Amino acid sequence: MRRMSGPSGVGIGWRPEIAGFVADLPGLRFVEVVAEAVAPAGPLPDGLTELRARDVTVVPHGVRLSLGGAEPVDPARVAHLAAVATALDAPLVSEHIAFVRAGGLEAGHLLPLPRSREAVAAVVANVRRARAELPVPLALEPIAALFDWPDDELDEADFLTEILDATDALLLLDVANVHANARNRGGDPAALLDRLPLERIAYVHVAGGAEAGGFYHDTHTDPVPAAVLDLVRELCARRRPPALLLERDGHYPPAAELRGELDALAAASGYPVVT
Amino acid sequence: MSGDLAARQAELVATLVAGGPLPPGFAAAPVEAARRALRRKRAGDVARHWPLLAAGLGADWPAVFVDWAAGRPTNGSLRDGWDLARELRDRGTLPPLGADELAWREAANRYDGRGTPRRRRLPALARSGGAVVVQFAGRVRLLRPAPR
Repeated sequence: MRRMSGPSGVGIGWRPEIAGFVADLPGLRFVEVVAEAVAPAGPLPDGLTELRARDVTVVPHGVRLSLGGAEPVDPARVAHLAAVATALDAPLVSEHIAFVRAGGLEAGHLLPLPRSREAVAAVVANVRRARAELPVPLALEPIAALFDWPDDELDEADFLTEILDATDALLLLDVANVHANARNRGGDPAALLDRLPLERIAYVHVAGGAEAGGFYHDTHTDPVPAAVLDLVRELCARRRPPALLLERDGHYPPAAELRGELDALAAASGYPVVT
Repeated sequence: MSGDLAARQAELVATLVAGGPLPPGFAAAPVEAARRALRRKRAGDVARHWPLLAAGLGADWPAVFVDWAAGRPTNGSLRDGWDLARELRDRGTLPPLGADELAWREAANRYDGRGTPRRRRLPALARSGGAVVVQFAGRVRLLRPAPR
């Protein structure tokens, strides 16, 4: 089997609930699938098999590795991610700069790390452990968080750059997370773009969210706000990433609305429409 | 500081999911907001205890649950789902599948809204949103499903 090409153009997060919608997108070249939702030993979901037959790139996106955990990454979870990458013939996999469990408790969500040298070292060690077992490159995604640790030694740009410089990882930049963090934790999102190694971006995430309780929540269940699309334009003006992917994880809107979101992403980035 | 990260990560997770105290130096309001966001995940756990209720609400389930769970500490997934189903019934927005599930549970168990639900020893008839369920000697039967 020939390896699929890297992510390109406008893509969408493949979810079983919208498999029919995704299958009907004529120009689609790239999707992402939650790695933990795929059983690599069994048959792949029909929708993914069809996309594979069309040479659509499928990138496994892990959410439970806990690369930022102080403890070594679980080898069984790495092996699973590696097997999913092989089963999907994926050109790369992605995961988060975050931890999801500690002290025997599952947080059930991606949690932020302190921006400290100790945390950089923990992530770097786990990325190296994972890379040793993965058949393809790994892209790292900085997360959205509502709070900061009290004793940051580095700012966001230096924290991310130190991790990327110490590993061979690519960057999965989530523009909605950049917006959310600036909104909730302060900072200028455009200034952050100026300081990130944009040439290492494998692809970009874009998602919707909503204001609630004085915070912007990166819900993935609401429309993409204008401010996030503005940030996509800011990013593309600096250096257009090879691909941009819309993440939607529930409250799926009518097909026309979802097509509108994909078209808006194409318009903001200048890539061809896929609908 | 070496080795400190593991302990501090454990402390933070306990704060967010196990009612632990706010670790020193953290801002209270944003951590509280994060704790609330985790309720969205809690919605998935309750859905596993109340599969018909969640299925009946379909794509609306997470939002309905999170709205309801705001300001309510969990009493466990069984009671959380039970309280929510009763509230939806009283509001007239309980979907038929949820009405069937609630009537089934009410016929089989006695639940006062405060303590642990107990299995009924006496026969019972429960109605909810048009669903009728009978329980006799511990055997539960759906006599009439809620109108679809």
